[in-house]
Amino acid sequence: MTLTAFAPLPAVEYYRDVVEDRTFPTVGEWRRRTGRKAAGSFPVYSPVELAYAARMLPVGLFGGGNQIEIAHADSRFQSFICSIVKSTLELGFIDKLAPFDALLFHSICDPARNLASVMARNFPERRSIYVHLPQNMTSAGAADFLAAEYRRVALELAGVSGHAPDDEDLRASITAFNAMRARLRELYALRAASPEKLSTAELYTLARMATFTDPAESTLLLAESLEAAGARDARPKDRIRVVVVGSFCEQPPLELIAGLEEAGCYILDDDFLLGWRLFRHDVPETGDPYLALARSYLHDSLHASTKHDLRDPRAASLIASARSNRADAVIFLGAKFCEPGLFDYALYRRALEQEGIPHLFLEFEEKMWMYDKIRSEVETFVESMLFV
Amino acid sequence: MRYAVGVDVGSTQTKSVLVDEQGRIVARSLIDTGAYLVRAAERSLEMCLTEAGVSRNDVGYAVGTGYGRFKVAFGDDQVTEISCHAKGAWFLFPRTRTVIDIGGQDTKAIKVSERGEVLDFSMNDKCAAGSGRFLTNSAEALGMEVGAIGPKSLEAKNPVRLSTVCTIFVETDILSYLASGKKTEDILSGVHGAIGSRTVALVRRVGAEPEITFTGGVARNIGMIRSVEEKLDLAINVSPDSHYTGALGAAIFALERMTAGSQVLA
Amino acid sequence: MKNAPEIRYQGRVHELQKELMGGYYAQLTDIAKGRSTRKNAHLLIAGNPVELVRAFDMLPVFPEVNVLQIAARKASLPLIQKAEELGYAVDNCAYVKADIGLYLSGYEAPYGTVPKADLLLCNYVGCNVYLNWFEHLAELTGAPAVNIDVPFIRSADGEPSSEDVAYVVKQLEELIVQLETITGTALDWKKLKRTVELSARVGEMWSEIKSLTKLRPAPYDAYFDSVTMMAVLYCLRGTEEAARFFEIALADLKERATMKQGPLPEERFRVVIEGPPPWPFLRVFRDMFTRWGAVAVASTYSTVGGIWEFGFRHDPERPLESIARHMLSQNLCNRTFLQRYDQMDRYVNEWDADAIVIHSVKSCRLFSAGQGDMREYFVREREVPTLLIESDLEDPRYFSQAQLRNRIDAFFEALTQRRITAAADVAAGGVA
Repeated sequence: MTLTAFAPLPAVEYYRDVVEDRTFPTVGEWRRRTGRKAAGSFPVYSPVELAYAARMLPVGLFGGGNQIEIAHADSRFQSFICSIVKSTLELGFIDKLAPFDALLFHSICDPARNLASVMARNFPERRSIYVHLPQNMTSAGAADFLAAEYRRVALELAGVSGHAPDDEDLRASITAFNAMRARLRELYALRAASPEKLSTAELYTLARMATFTDPAESTLLLAESLEAAGARDARPKDRIRVVVVGSFCEQPPLELIAGLEEAGCYILDDDFLLGWRLFRHDVPETGDPYLALARSYLHDSLHASTKHDLRDPRAASLIASARSNRADAVIFLGAKFCEPGLFDYALYRRALEQEGIPHLFLEFEEKMWMYDKIRSEVETFVESMLFV
Repeated sequence: MRYAVGVDVGSTQTKSVLVDEQGRIVARSLIDTGAYLVRAAERSLEMCLTEAGVSRNDVGYAVGTGYGRFKVAFGDDQVTEISCHAKGAWFLFPRTRTVIDIGGQDTKAIKVSERGEVLDFSMNDKCAAGSGRFLTNSAEALGMEVGAIGPKSLEAKNPVRLSTVCTIFVETDILSYLASGKKTEDILSGVHGAIGSRTVALVRRVGAEPEITFTGGVARNIGMIRSVEEKLDLAINVSPDSHYTGALGAAIFALERMTAGSQVLA
Repeated sequence: MKNAPEIRYQGRVHELQKELMGGYYAQLTDIAKGRSTRKNAHLLIAGNPVELVRAFDMLPVFPEVNVLQIAARKASLPLIQKAEELGYAVDNCAYVKADIGLYLSGYEAPYGTVPKADLLLCNYVGCNVYLNWFEHLAELTGAPAVNIDVPFIRSADGEPSSEDVAYVVKQLEELIVQLETITGTALDWKKLKRTVELSARVGEMWSEIKSLTKLRPAPYDAYFDSVTMMAVLYCLRGTEEAARFFEIALADLKERATMKQGPLPEERFRVVIEGPPPWPFLRVFRDMFTRWGAVAVASTYSTVGGIWEFGFRHDPERPLESIARHMLSQNLCNRTFLQRYDQMDRYVNEWDADAIVIHSVKSCRLFSAGQGDMREYFVREREVPTLLIESDLEDPRYFSQAQLRNRIDAFFEALTQRRITAAADVAAGGVA
C-alpha cells in the first residue's frame, strides 16, 4: 500500500504494522524496559493522565481489527452488537490482554457498559474500572463530582500499580499529555490547511501510535513528523474536500481510510481516535489537577457522539466544521450496529440537507477486509461531485 | 405386531421413520414438503407404511416433529425437533453427549444426558447466519449442486476468509472472490470454515463434551464435518441415517409412549 | 396438549387499572387539546424524580409507556417506519423511533393525544439511549431539555458514594429552580413531602405484592400481570389514587393467595423472566408459557422503574436525598450487569424458581447486550436451566412466532422429561 507519492515519514513507516498488531509488542517492550504496568483504555475517552501519574502506561484498546476471528465472544454478545465489543472480549479469551493489569471503561453506550461487567466476571485478574463521565455539562455540581470520580479512579489504579500519585505526579502527567495532544492538534491543523502534505492514512497511523506509546516518546515522534510533513512540497490534486464523522469508537481498517483518499477525497477533519485528542486547549497545569481535568472535559472538549452537551447541538457543530474547513461534502463513516453513531446520523442528515451540503452514508466493520463495495460507492460520489 | 412412527415436517423436506416394538427401523421415507404440510405428513406416512407392508391400524402411536409438527393430523403428540434430534442421536450413538444439527433456518447444539434427555441447548440467534441456507446460497452463487460443494471444498490449497456469515451478503463475497480469480475449492473452504466457526461457537455454549454426533441433512456434507472436527479437534459421529434423526427421535418417543401407556411429556 | 389455552388473564385489578389509566390519558389529552393549562414534563421510567414533577402539580408524561401502549395495540410499525424514512436506522431502538413517529403524526395515539413537552426531563439512569432520545426530541420539537446525570453504580456493594448522592441532589435543586420558572410557582415543600410519602406507601404495598409470589401457587404472574400494576406504579406514583389502587390490588391478591388461586389452573413450572416483554405479541407470547403451566414468580422487568422488594422506601423526611437514592441504586437500569445476575440469583433462590427465561430484545441493549454471558453464568456456575430467546419490545418485524414457540416448547419438554426421570428414579428407590 502506498500512502503518499513523496518521501514517507519514518514514524509512519515504522508503526504502520505495529498499530494492527494485537500482541501489543511495543507495550510489552515498555513494560520490560520500565518494570511498570499498563492500563487498557476502551474508547472513546479515558482520563489517561491518571494512569500515567500512577506510573502505568495507558494504552488505547481498539478491538481486534481485522486480525482476529471472533470464536468465543459471539456466544456472549448477540449478533446485533457491534464488533468492537465482541472483539475486545475475544482478545481476553485468546489471552491477548496479558499486557494489561487494568482496563478502563466508561459510559459511552449500553453494550460497552455491559462489556465492563462481562470483562470483570471473565477476567477478574485484570481490574475493570468503570468511569462515570457526566452527561449534565451545566450543573454546578458536575466539576466537583467528576474531580471526585477521578480521585477514586486514581486510587483504584494506584491499587494496581502500587504507586499512589500525588498532585505533582498528576500535573507532570497532564503536562506530558498536553504536549502530545498539542502536536496532534498541530498535525490536524496542517492536514486541514494542506491536505496534500499529510495524508489521513499517515495522520491516523501517527495518532494511533500515540495511543500506545509513552507520551514522552510519542510527542517527539509527532513533532518530527510534523516538521517533515510541513516541509513537503506538494501540489493539491483534483479531489473533493470532505469531513468524515462516525468513527469515534470502533475504528475502520487503515486500508479503508487510505481507500477513501485514493477514491478522490481530501479528508479535512474526522473523529477517529477522538478521545486521545479530546481537548481544544491544554489542560491547565496549575491548581487542583483533578479539577483541571474535570473542567477541561466539561467545558473544553471536542464534540463527541457519546457526550451529550445540550449547550452545543451536535448537528450544528458538524455544520460548523464543514463550513470552517470549506468542505465540499460530509462522509458519515459509521460502525455497523453503533447506536450512538446511528442516532447522530439521523440528526446530521436533516441538518446537512437543510444546509445543502452533499453527504454520503457508509457503514463499516473493523473486521472487514474487502472494500470493493465501499470503494465504488465513494468513487461514484466523488465523480458525481467533480463532474457536475 | 404394533409399530410406532415419527414424522418430521421440515420447511423443505418431510421425513418419516417407522420402528417396531423392539425399536428396529423398519421403514423410512423422504419427500419434499411443498405448500401443504398436512398432505406432506400424510403422504410421508403412507410411503413408510407401503415400504414396510404395514397397515395403518398397526400403528400404535405417532409423534410429529419439526416446524410443521402441529400439521401432523394423525399425530398423537408433538415434540420439538430439538428433543427429537437429541433422542435420535442418542439412539444411533448411545454415548452421544453433544448433538449438532445444521438446519435450513436453525443451527442447534444440544447437550444430552446419558439417557438421551436434553440437558441444555443453544441455537443461532434470530438472523439465519451460519445455517444450511448459507450453504445452499453459496452453492447457487457458484452454480453448483449443494451435494457437490463439500467434497470440492476439501481440495482447497489456499482457503479464503469470508467477510460475512450473512446469507444475503455471501453471494457478493463469492462473486468478488471469483472476480479476483480465486479457485472454487478455496472459496468453498472459506464458506465451510465460516459456518464451522459459527457452529463451534454454539457447541461451546453448551460445552463440547464427547461423543459428538452430527445430525440432519448437512451431516452428509463431508466438508462441513471436517471443518467442525478440525475446529473442535474431536472426531464426530455421523450415521448413514443422519438425515432421518429427527423423525427417528420422534419414532422413539412414540415407541416409549406406546409401551408406557399414554404418560409422559405434555 | 398445548393448543391455545382458554384462559382469561383479566381480573379486578386489570379493570381498575384500565379505569385509572383512562383517566390519566384523558388528562394528557386535555392538555394537548388546550382544555387544560396544566404544565407537563416528559420523563423516562427508569429511576425518575416524578415526585418533584407531581409536587409542582405538573403532569408527568412517559414516552416509553405511550409507545408500548401503541405496540400492544399493534400500531407501532407505521410509526417506526415514519422515523426510518427520516434517517433512523433499523438498528436504532424502536421505542425512540415509535415516539418520534408519534410526534410526526401529531402525537395522536389510539388512547388519546400526547401534549408537547413543557420540559424534556431526561433522567439519565444507565440507559444511554435515553440521552439520544430526548436530545432528538429537543431538536425536533424545540422544547427545553435538561439532563439529570445519575452516576452509574460503580461499587461492588451496589451503593452510591456520598459524592454521587450530593451530585444528584444538587441537580434536583437546580431542577426545582427550572420547574419554578416553568410553573411560575415556588415549590411547596409540604406537598413534596406528601408526594414522597405516597411513593413510600406504594413502594411498601408493591413490595408486599411482590413477596406473594413466593407462595405456591403464585397468586399472579410476576411478569405478565406485573405489567398491569407497573402502569399505575409509574404513571401515577405519588398520587392518592395510586395508593388506593395498590390497597385494592394488595387485598385482592392476598385473597387469591389465601384461596390458593393462581393465574393458571395448574402451576407446573416457576420461572424467573429477564427482559422486557414483546408488546406487539404479548398475548401470543404469554400463551406459549401458559401451555406448559409456566408461571413467572419474579421478573427483572418489573424493577426497571424501581426495586422495592429488597427494602428501599422513599423517605418524606429527606425527600431529595431519597429521590436521589432511588435514581442512583434502587432501580434495575442504573445497576451493573453483574448486579443484575445477583438480583436474578436471589429470585431463583428466595422465590424458589425452577428455571430462567431470558427474553432478549434487540431494541434495548441496556437489557440485552451480553445476555449470552448471563446465560453462561446461570447454566454453568449456578446450574439453573436457562433459556435465551429473542424478539423485540416494539418492532413487530423481529417476532418470529414459530421460532420462539419451538424454543420454548423444547425448553419445557426438556424440563418435563428430567422431572419424569427424576420421579422414576425416586420410585425405583435409587438416587440418580
